[in-house]
Amino acid sequence: MSDLTAMLWKEAVELIGHRRVAIIFAIVVVIMGIFPALIMYHRQTIQAANSLIFFGLIYVLLGIVVVVGQTASDLVLHERVGHTLDYLLTTRLSAPAIFAAKILLSAAIGYLAALLVLLVQLAAVGLIGGMRFHWLFLGLGAGQVAAFGVTAALSLYVSVVGTFVALRVGEQRSAYLLSVVAVGLLLVPFILGWLHMSLTLGWISKAALVLGVIALALAAIGMRVFRRHMLVLYLQD
Amino acid sequence: MGNDAIECHGLSRQFGARMAVSDLEFSVPSGIVFGFLGPNGAGKTTTVRLMVGMLQPSSGSLRVLGHDPVAEGEWVRTRCGVMLDGVGLYDRLSARRNLEFAARIARLNKSEGRQRVDASLQRVGLWDRREDRVSGFSKGMRQKLGLARALIADPEMLILDEPTAGLDPANIVMVRELLLSLAEDAGRSVFLCTHLLAEAQRICDQVAIIRGGRLLAMGEPNKLGEAQLPSVRLTLSGYDGDSSTALNLPQGAQMARLSAQEWRATLGDPQDIEALVAALVAGGVGVRAVIPEQVSLEEEYMRLVGGNADE
Repeated sequence: MSDLTAMLWKEAVELIGHRRVAIIFAIVVVIMGIFPALIMYHRQTIQAANSLIFFGLIYVLLGIVVVVGQTASDLVLHERVGHTLDYLLTTRLSAPAIFAAKILLSAAIGYLAALLVLLVQLAAVGLIGGMRFHWLFLGLGAGQVAAFGVTAALSLYVSVVGTFVALRVGEQRSAYLLSVVAVGLLLVPFILGWLHMSLTLGWISKAALVLGVIALALAAIGMRVFRRHMLVLYLQD
Repeated sequence: MGNDAIECHGLSRQFGARMAVSDLEFSVPSGIVFGFLGPNGAGKTTTVRLMVGMLQPSSGSLRVLGHDPVAEGEWVRTRCGVMLDGVGLYDRLSARRNLEFAARIARLNKSEGRQRVDASLQRVGLWDRREDRVSGFSKGMRQKLGLARALIADPEMLILDEPTAGLDPANIVMVRELLLSLAEDAGRSVFLCTHLLAEAQRICDQVAIIRGGRLLAMGEPNKLGEAQLPSVRLTLSGYDGDSSTALNLPQGAQMARLSAQEWRATLGDPQDIEALVAALVAGGVGVRAVIPEQVSLEEEYMRLVGGNADE
């Protein structure tokens, strides 16, 4: 546990000083938070409850993919560029601690971004949308599960995929794009389900559960197959 | 096994068709500074990576502090402070934060960790820059911080890959004295990869020279050349070289002219110097000076490695 704590401390302290990640995070929160309100303002209407879940939530999920995809690949690749992964390999840190810290931190950043986007959406609908305060999809049970459950599962999933991809791809942009594609492929069944089924509490709950289980299973597999040498590309030859 | 810090038997590591390290056979006694010398691409860094379990040997065996660095990697890495070529510091963190992270990895408690961090920063002369981000550090400062980080857990053994690279002469002296004090005062073993032969000669108790992944020579730096035939430099009068056959020179002795009166005699045995001088004097040759020649580490290195700086 102390290995994981040490790694999490380092990742967090380092991320605080990372201007690019901070800028991307802020831009995502603002844009994904305000955009739905702008559209509502344009249409001058609050739509039906089911549509609202899709309408606002899709920006939250998109925000997670962008923020976590960037963060996960950065947490691995900037260490590779700076040869700090080589240093980690010379320490007593266990491989699971190194791997888990990167996954947990980027998932936490994604979840934080999702919650902030939700807050901005709530504020923006009232302020920019020119309407009274409205709970949007958070007013529904299904919406709450989506807001707090699906987002957590998706953050973890994108984080696992992003970290895995970054371990195998040496370049930041490629790693990021590959992560987004991988995430997008998995989300297709969910989006189709979303479009063709009524968004009941039961459906959303199942979707969050399935996504969460897949993310946890992937993380578990990752921990099993992850080896220290994967951190450094030249050691994979 | 007993007192050896490192034991290598037939150690090899292959990357595809290329043998990075081939059949290395050596041991390093505990408590000494051991220099590992060789040109770029000789296999030094691969050997270091094998020693800390970053790589697995293709064949052969390796034990560090009596343990297998692959099977007992955590045990070995807990007891070794390592500084790799390239150092690998966190640029976005301050010097202090870099060391704090190392202290956390070493599971030092808060007060002990803080104490060690402060002492290390002072020891390497970075106390005034402790809160500065490492991204603004010069190469020399990075090297010093890397060294401080390797020392933070007070390891039994230090494994250092080019610790003086990029340092100015004053800092090279500082690092040299630090390494010597570490080895002498604390009985710590130091495995030092370096290009600086003069430094190696001063610092190291033993050195090994490696090229193309193969060990070429090993021994005390001042005695490494003794494997060659001993030689003496002579200043002679009344000797032209043609009369060698008439003189009763020791068996195997060969004379080579360096200048009008300067000669180099290569002997079959170091004990033959007296016999050589006696034979010359008996043959009527005036012997003005006899200077035993010692091969420096640099001369021996150049003889073994040749003029190629890189592999």
